[in-house]
Amino acid sequence: MALKVGIPRGLLYYYYGDLWRNFFQLLGIEVVVSGTTTKQMLDQGSKIDEVCLPVKVYLGHVCALRGKVDWLFIPRVISVAPKQYSCPKMMGLPDVVRANFPDLPPMLSVDVNLRKSRFVLYRAVVDLGKRLGKSPWSSLKTWVRASRQIDAVAVKQDESVSGIRIGLVGHPYILKDSQISMDITGKLVRLGVRVIDVGDVPREEANSAAERLTKPIFWNYCQRLVGAALALIYSPRRLDGLVYVTSFSCGPDSLLGEMLGWHARKCNIPLLTLALDEHTGEAGLVTRLEAFVDMLDRRNKLCW
Amino acid sequence: MLVTFPHMGTLDIILKALFRGAGLLVLPPPLVTRQTLELGAKYSPETACLPFKIALGNYIQGLSLGADTIITCGGEGPCRLGYYAEVQKNILTGLGYKFDMIAIEPNIKSVWHVVNELVGIKKWRQLYQAIQLAGAKLAATDSIERQSWFYRPREVAVGQVDQLRNNVLQTVDAAIDKAGVASALSKFAGNLAKLVIKPDFQPLRIGLVGEIYVMLDHFANQDLVKKLGQLGAEVYGTILLGDYVHTHISKNRVARHSYQTVLKLAAPYLGHYIGGHGIDSIGNTIKLGQEGFDGIIQVFPITCMPEVIAKNILPEVSDAIDIPVLSLGFDEHTGTAGMVTRLEAFVDLLTYRRRKQA
Repeated sequence: MALKVGIPRGLLYYYYGDLWRNFFQLLGIEVVVSGTTTKQMLDQGSKIDEVCLPVKVYLGHVCALRGKVDWLFIPRVISVAPKQYSCPKMMGLPDVVRANFPDLPPMLSVDVNLRKSRFVLYRAVVDLGKRLGKSPWSSLKTWVRASRQIDAVAVKQDESVSGIRIGLVGHPYILKDSQISMDITGKLVRLGVRVIDVGDVPREEANSAAERLTKPIFWNYCQRLVGAALALIYSPRRLDGLVYVTSFSCGPDSLLGEMLGWHARKCNIPLLTLALDEHTGEAGLVTRLEAFVDMLDRRNKLCW
Repeated sequence: MLVTFPHMGTLDIILKALFRGAGLLVLPPPLVTRQTLELGAKYSPETACLPFKIALGNYIQGLSLGADTIITCGGEGPCRLGYYAEVQKNILTGLGYKFDMIAIEPNIKSVWHVVNELVGIKKWRQLYQAIQLAGAKLAATDSIERQSWFYRPREVAVGQVDQLRNNVLQTVDAAIDKAGVASALSKFAGNLAKLVIKPDFQPLRIGLVGEIYVMLDHFANQDLVKKLGQLGAEVYGTILLGDYVHTHISKNRVARHSYQTVLKLAAPYLGHYIGGHGIDSIGNTIKLGQEGFDGIIQVFPITCMPEVIAKNILPEVSDAIDIPVLSLGFDEHTGTAGMVTRLEAFVDLLTYRRRKQA
């Protein structure tokens, strides 16, 4: 009997999805990843109050896997680095799912807390393997193999195109999900803009740029995001504008937007903040992007 | 150097005693009013939480009056509180204020550094006395709060308890030594004992859980505790300043033990600490449910991350231990009338429920 593990396509899937899928597949387990986000998923997830859009979408993906898998893989990622946390909503995710969505397949959840020690990760891997009936040794071996295959992938940047250069700042689970972001990247490209995604900024550059912060940010994914954004803001190659995409009730982003704005003002780079929720209309978004690009275009003609 | 700080309920009484005792010049910000909140909200990020906005309002008013140093807390997450000071410092600098922001991080090194810088470790005797007096005032304000919870629903002439409470808080604030604090307290207790109270009245017992700032600050929660008292409910707040200090700062053994108990109760519903008081809200709801409380009210600033998670788990807890839970979020747009209506409805429901069970 082949076990099927379901992974919802949301939140941290956009960071570790390939690694997780690799791991399960190498263990000989079939993996089902929920499809791209649909309106129906969004409606199902919106049952939950006051959480941010990406969490609602995640819950929708969880519902979409109902009846299709034997296990649901919903890890509790508390921290992935010393002195840092993920975010309270990610830390409470398995509990929110369990409390609000009955009749789901059993949950394959494991606590990942690397605040104090990196080795906790290996314990988590062993625990996970044990619940799937694998020996500690084979789980660990598989994990190392799975992560090696991922590390090899590197992103190449195409720097040849001229025209307006806009830095696009936002969590990958917003930008890469075209239902949430309404394909902002595509819309900008169609307006003839060269888009630089913060996700493509090399990690080392982001880390060194983050040292400009007077106090390190204790939300890991935000520290990376802001670091990468600062790397773009202070990069020697001039950026014409920044678009900061966030979801309406994202806690960390509400404060970080202020910090980003501060640095952007200092470097005289226009910043457009777009806060998205399930009520955001596409037409309004397009108008704002067009106006922003027009403004940058005009500004360039006047200044240079 | 003229020091100011953020308000939170009666925290100013304790901080004044502590800072003045340590020999600092203190200028507390004006009492929080609608204007404070509007000032704060105007310059805050839109979806920052209510405490952020009120504190920013406090700083603006304090600095405008001439303060040049802000003492506040830092933090290591995952609640946003830990990053408040950084962002507020930037906003205030952008507004053109000149000041020093001293954010005390929750570790011994940072505390030592700040104390040494501001006061000088050599003045340890004076510091010790300041801490003693502040501690006495802390215990006194908590005790006043507890007694008010008890007497408010029982008083016959509405408003007397609050009058006595305001008077005693002023006396405690003005007290210069522990004896002064003690005599104010005993006078308060004597006055309460003389109050005419409803005979044989069994008020509803409502537990408050949620976020510390909104729970303790009567401006932020729009006098929730007072209103519940006047509706005939005896309120029990699960967080008082003293509890917080004993649990997380001085690490008192008894307080730690009861905190651990609460965490254990919460574990089946919420498997990990999620910052702020999220897990306490779950654990305390269960604890009070088992103690036979009639209902629970969860209070939090809208967009508070830990409490939003708790809020979405509380319905499950409410079903499992059979206790009604009302979640109330607060921000600068919260209207009093709407809140009172919800409180009245909740109290009616609890009264009906109790009658049915009897």
